[in-house]
Amino acid sequence: MKIAISYPPIINDLGQKAMVSQNRNVQFFKEPTYLLPVTYAQAATYLKQSGYDVYWDDGNSQLKNFDVWFNDFVKEAPDVVIFESTTPVMKFYWSTINKIKTAMPNCIVIMSGYHSMRRPEETMQQSNADIVLRSSNVDFALHRLIPHIENNNDWRASYLGEGMLIRLDSGKLRSTGDFRQVEPLDQSPLVDRDLVGWKNYAYENGNFLQTPGTYASSVIRDCMFGKCTFCRYNGPDLTFSMMSVQRSLDEYEKLINEHGVKEIFDDSGVWYRGKEAREFAQGIIDRGLNKKGCYFGINTRFEYLDEETIKLMGEANFRFILLGYEAADNETLMRLNKGYQLQHVDDCLKWLTKYGMHPHLTIMVGYYWQTQEQLDNTVSEVKRLMISGLARTLQVTLCTPLDYTPYHEECISNGVLLTQDYNDFDMSKLIVKTPIPHDQYYKAVREMYSVAFNPRFILRQLVFLLNFRKKDWQFLFTYGIRAIRRVRQHIFNLTRHETKEKSKTIEVTNV
Amino acid sequence: MNTYPLLDIEHLTETTFRLRVDRPDIPIRSGQCFNLGIPGFGVNREYSMYSAEDSSYLDFLIRSVDGGLTSTGLQKAQPGDLIEIDGAYGKFCLDDPLNKSNNYLFIATGTGIAPFHSFVETWPSINYKILHGVRTPEERYHMQEYTKDSYIPCISRPKDGTSGKRVTDYLTEYSIPEGTKVYVCGNRNMIIDVFDLLHKKEVFGDQIKTEVFF
Repeated sequence: MKIAISYPPIINDLGQKAMVSQNRNVQFFKEPTYLLPVTYAQAATYLKQSGYDVYWDDGNSQLKNFDVWFNDFVKEAPDVVIFESTTPVMKFYWSTINKIKTAMPNCIVIMSGYHSMRRPEETMQQSNADIVLRSSNVDFALHRLIPHIENNNDWRASYLGEGMLIRLDSGKLRSTGDFRQVEPLDQSPLVDRDLVGWKNYAYENGNFLQTPGTYASSVIRDCMFGKCTFCRYNGPDLTFSMMSVQRSLDEYEKLINEHGVKEIFDDSGVWYRGKEAREFAQGIIDRGLNKKGCYFGINTRFEYLDEETIKLMGEANFRFILLGYEAADNETLMRLNKGYQLQHVDDCLKWLTKYGMHPHLTIMVGYYWQTQEQLDNTVSEVKRLMISGLARTLQVTLCTPLDYTPYHEECISNGVLLTQDYNDFDMSKLIVKTPIPHDQYYKAVREMYSVAFNPRFILRQLVFLLNFRKKDWQFLFTYGIRAIRRVRQHIFNLTRHETKEKSKTIEVTNV
Repeated sequence: MNTYPLLDIEHLTETTFRLRVDRPDIPIRSGQCFNLGIPGFGVNREYSMYSAEDSSYLDFLIRSVDGGLTSTGLQKAQPGDLIEIDGAYGKFCLDDPLNKSNNYLFIATGTGIAPFHSFVETWPSINYKILHGVRTPEERYHMQEYTKDSYIPCISRPKDGTSGKRVTDYLTEYSIPEGTKVYVCGNRNMIIDVFDLLHKKEVFGDQIKTEVFF
C-alpha cells in the first residue's frame, strides 16, 4: 500500500510561497524558509517501519510548482494521501482534494491539522475528503488507522480508533468520538532523515546560524503549558507528552556524527525545563557533543529556565533561544494567558546573553483590544531590549485569529472579525476591528524591525560577538545579510496593505 | 507585581506540603491551575488549586522535587512571605457539577489529587470515587475530607506487609458504571496506562479528561 504525506506548493498572486513557520503558522514569502514538519516526518517513518511504501511529498522543499507537483502525484498513484490544514490555506486544500478525487477517485484523502480538527464537518462539506483526523498525533493515529484500512474492506464503518470523522459509503458522516489520548512519545520513531530528504530543509531557514541545520524530533508533543489563547497548542483535543532525555540525546549524537549537522533546532512548543533541561545539557557535555561545532536551539518561555540551567545550556553550545514576548503590557499578557510577568524578562534575557545565547523575541501587534498606549509601550520596550543587547533578533507578526483557537473563538463571539474569507487569514494584514487605525500597528512593526539598522544595535551585536566567542565572527555577515533580507520581506508583507486599508480603518475606528 | 502573602504551610510528609496563600481577586474555577514563583527567582511552576473555588484563600498541594528551584523554595517559605501568583489557567473543570445524575471517577497519582480535592470541597454532594495512587500510606493526603467509601487509596509500597497495588491494578478490577465521567490527573505514564484500561472497559475519549503533571 502506498501512502503519501503531501504538501502541495501554494503560490499567491504575488508569486510568494506559503511557508509553514513556528507553531505551524502559514505565511507567504518570496524567499522561503523550508521547515521540516516534524510530527508528519515521524508519521512517515512509523509507516515505513510498518512496511508501507511511503511517498514523502513536500512540493515546497522539492521546489516544484503546482502543476509539476500534481502530475508527479498522479504518476505516483498513492492509495492514501495525508494533508495538513490551517486556516489561510483551507480553500486551496479543499479545491486540491476535489481535483485529486476527480483524477484518482480511489485515492483515500485524509485531512489533518489544527483547522480541520476543530471544524471537521466543514472540511467534509467543502471537499470530498474521506477522513478528517481530529488529533495532532498523526503518527500514532495513522499507525493505527492505515493497517485497518488495508485489512478491512468495511473500514469506514468498522474503524473504532478515536478522533476521526469518516465519510461512509452512503455519504453520511461517522464520528469515532473525541480524541483525548496521551500518547507515549517514546514509541513514535525518530525521524528517518533520508526518507524525508532532510537536506531540502537544511539551508533555507533564517533561524539557522550555521548550516546544514535540521529539526530534532520534538521532545514535547503539543505544549506543556498549553494555555496561551492565541496558540494552536491549546484545546481539549490536545494533550501533552514528553520524550525521554536519553532518547533525544541519542538522536542528536546521530545527527552530528552521521549526518554532519551543524545546527539542531527543537521546535517543540516549549522545550524541556528544570531537571530534564539540565539532564539534557549535561548529556550533551558528557557525550562531547558540545565540542563538535554544532549549535542547538529551542523554544522556551519566560520564567521557565533558571540561571543554573541556562549556564549549563551555554556550556553545551545552545545558541538560538526563541521566546514568546508578545507584548509589553500586563493586560495583554493576562488576556493571552501567557503565564509570565514582565518584571522577569530582563533577568531571563541577561542570563541568556551572559552565557552566550542568542535570545530571539517573537512579538505580536494588532490584538483587538490593543490601544495606542499599549502599542507604544511594546515598541519602546522591544527597542530597549534590542538596543541594550538583551535580545539579539526579533520577529513581529500581526496577531491573526487562526484555527479556532480560543483567541479566534473570542474574536468571533465579540464580533470583531472583519472577514469570513479564510484566504484573508494569511497574517499579511489585520483582520480584526481595533481601537486605533490598522496603520498604527503596521507602523509599529516597521519601527521594531528598523532596530536592525540602528547604529547602537549594530555596535552592540559587534561587541557581543567580539567579546564572547570569536568563532561567531564567521557567521556575522551571513546572518546579517539573511536578517536584512527577512526584515525587507516582513516589511513588504506588512505594509503592502497600508494604503488600501486607510479607508477601512476609519470605518473600524468609528464602530 | 502579582504577589500574595503566604498564610500557612502544612508539611504533610518529608516532601509534600499544603501551601495556603491569600486569594487573588479574580474569577477562579475549581480545577484550574496557577503559576507560582518566589520573588527574585525568575522562574515559576504550574500547580493545580487544592481549595474550593469560593474559598477566601488558595491552597496548593505541592511535592518538592530534588533540584526543583520553585518547589524546594516554596517548601522553605514561611507565613508572611510573598509568593508570586499568575492565573487562573486551564479547563480541567467539571462541566455540569450541579447535575445530580452525574457520576464521576477521579483517578490521580500523588499530588495529582489536588484538582479532585478542589472539586469535592466546592461541590461536596457530587457522586464520585477517587482512585488515588500513592507510594506509602502517609501520602493519602487529607483522606478524611472525602466522603466515606469514595476515597480508594492504591498504595504501591504498603507498610503492613501486604502486597502493593497501583491505580491500574485497582482499575482492572473496578467496574465503571455506564455514563461515568472520568478525570485523570498526575503522572504521564499512569495516564497512558489508564487510557488503555479505560478503552478495554469501553470508556472512550468523549468521557475522559486529562491533566498531565510534569
